[in-house]
Amino acid sequence: MSTTSETSPIPAGTADGSPRGRDGEPNTAEPAARRSGPHRPGGRELLASLPWIGPALLLILGVVLFPAGVMFFNSTRDISLSGLDQGSVGFDNYVEVFSFPYFWPIFVRTIVWVVAVVGATVLISLGLAQILNKAFPGRRIVRLAVIIPWAASVVMTTLVVYYGLEPYFGIVNTFLVDLGLIDTPEGYGWTRNPDTAFGWSIVVAVFVSLPFTTYTILAGLQTVPGEVLEAAKMDGAGPARTYFGVILPQLRGALSVAVLINIINVFNSLPILKVMTGSIPGYDADTIMTLIFKYIQNQHKVDVASALSVVAFLIVIVIVAVYVRVVKPMKEV
Amino acid sequence: MKKSLRFGSAIAIAATASLTLASCGFGGGSGDEADGKTTIDMLVPSYSDNTQGLWEDVIAGFEEENPDIAIDLEVQSWDNLESVITTKIQGGEAPDIYNGGPFAGFAADELLYTAEEVVSPEVLSDFQDSFIANTEVDGTAYALPLIASARALFVNNALLEQAGVAAPPTTWDELLDAATKVSALGGGIAGYGMPLGSEEAQAEAAVWLWGGGGSFGDAEEITVDDPANLPGAEQIKKMIDAGATQADPGSTDRSPLMDIFVQGQIGMQVGLPPTVGQIEEGNPELDYSIVPIPTQDGSPFTLGVMDQLMAFQNDGDKQDAITKFFDYYYAADVYVPWVQAEGFLPVTKSGAEQLAGEEALAPFLELLPDAKFYPSTNPKWSATDGAFKALFGQLQTKGAQEVLTEIQAQVDAG
Repeated sequence: MSTTSETSPIPAGTADGSPRGRDGEPNTAEPAARRSGPHRPGGRELLASLPWIGPALLLILGVVLFPAGVMFFNSTRDISLSGLDQGSVGFDNYVEVFSFPYFWPIFVRTIVWVVAVVGATVLISLGLAQILNKAFPGRRIVRLAVIIPWAASVVMTTLVVYYGLEPYFGIVNTFLVDLGLIDTPEGYGWTRNPDTAFGWSIVVAVFVSLPFTTYTILAGLQTVPGEVLEAAKMDGAGPARTYFGVILPQLRGALSVAVLINIINVFNSLPILKVMTGSIPGYDADTIMTLIFKYIQNQHKVDVASALSVVAFLIVIVIVAVYVRVVKPMKEV
Repeated sequence: MKKSLRFGSAIAIAATASLTLASCGFGGGSGDEADGKTTIDMLVPSYSDNTQGLWEDVIAGFEEENPDIAIDLEVQSWDNLESVITTKIQGGEAPDIYNGGPFAGFAADELLYTAEEVVSPEVLSDFQDSFIANTEVDGTAYALPLIASARALFVNNALLEQAGVAAPPTTWDELLDAATKVSALGGGIAGYGMPLGSEEAQAEAAVWLWGGGGSFGDAEEITVDDPANLPGAEQIKKMIDAGATQADPGSTDRSPLMDIFVQGQIGMQVGLPPTVGQIEEGNPELDYSIVPIPTQDGSPFTLGVMDQLMAFQNDGDKQDAITKFFDYYYAADVYVPWVQAEGFLPVTKSGAEQLAGEEALAPFLELLPDAKFYPSTNPKWSATDGAFKALFGQLQTKGAQEVLTEIQAQVDAG
């Protein structure tokens, strides 16, 4: 998915950029290139630009396409428990993935997970960014406070919540028991039941996604020109009307980036769910990512895990494609 | 323009080179034999905070005696161990010596030296017979027993007394009765600690299913969905339904639950030899006793677990070095202090003799003759183990027969 979003601007950029790059040199062919250039870069120009985009292409090849290729290759092999390749099995591993009785519930849960986490994160971040964009004493410290969850490792943050929720000695549970909200003295098994554990995982995931999202939106807010806001005021627009009519449309670019990156990130998130729901038996709190993990860790089926990874990869591509198609994040306002 | 082209291609070449170099990790360089030294890679799990230090001491002593051999130690947590070893094998980087549980899969893939090939006959004959027999696939031993543990019931005497239970239970009926009474004390106290969470569900499963006369099968066949296993599974449900256990047993892991037992909040829980040390460290005041695990009819039984050392055939030229190391390690004056520090039971005859007088180990050593082991020589044991971890805890909400069927189905598919 990063290939589509990264490569597409590059040819466009070189098409505009390469004629300008030659400006310094005496080049008689230049006007001609400019006449045919803007629409479609010719093969020769692409070749000429290769030295510049080549390293990036190589990098993409090496870190994106090569592993994806290996993953796909593994998904069509029979890999033994101890990890030896024992030949091709065609698409049997995919059959196993789709015939797994819990696959579709897990698929639906994955979508719920992504929508809930990204939705809540963006809504809260919009508010937070708005607050941080106002001038008030101590703003710098508050901005710092927002970024701190980002500095801590996700596993650490999750473990803090996890132990807080532990029956018997968790601080959250003890607090709830002391308030009288829970009547059993050992507390409630929040992380012992699929639904509550999944719910708390969403809370943690939103919490750790806030810093990035808030800062992306904050950066967007700071590009909104003051004159525009002033003009809106002159025209008699109230705060709500200003926000929805003027500010929000200008945040389109920042929001698109935030949503897109968050979708990919949250879809692929393993550590939070692994820590929060790891000890729960069965598959009632799993997403596709934790299922991949279980295939590898519990059942040592690297081949089936690879097949599921390919499926997950395709799902992300589809989600991103639909998103790009519908929202058109590249379109200027 | 020409100049920049050349510059660009230089970058391209550099990038290609670095990618090629980086991808060397996939091919894997074999053991470096630079200064004439043989290097043995060793992968072990961490049994306790002492493990790394204990192995380092063994290695230091060994390297002093054998200056031409170097040992490269890698310690991993139990959680990661199996994925680390799988990744290494897949990448052609299998360690020379590996300390782990299931090994039948490796033996089936013909990756291992046989036990005979890597220890001297004297050491081989020093292993307890039942233990070495448990590492045999088709009559050939592929691994060396390392440590053993047996399970026993840890009983909080004070809680039982408070609840009016006269003697520790020996049968399921007595256990249910005693645990229900202890649970009734209230105040967050649980009668029986039942960890069916993913950490070690297969152990608690074995304690109950085998205690009712069932088994997981043998080297040829895995039989989880077997009528003989049903009484145990149903008894678990009975315990849960009667409120005799802690809340949510289906997703409680063993280690955190043991901490709660150590704190004195649980009446009874199945523990291991190292639990003794844990109690000594965490709550020395605890008034507890160690008794045999209650079974359906009260006959003695314990779950024996044995971990093994195994040697991978990598280059073929390290066999001598590996043999030297194993012979050094299993000598009583090296092995016994090691086992003792980890708090497990010795697997060699000479070790058992030396530790016979050890008071903390006595209740476990007594149980060892009645020990039953996992069918770990079955190549499907690994999948079975995984299926129990992932599914057995569902007993809390699903029917006993349904859960057993589901586990068997996952094993058969694996």
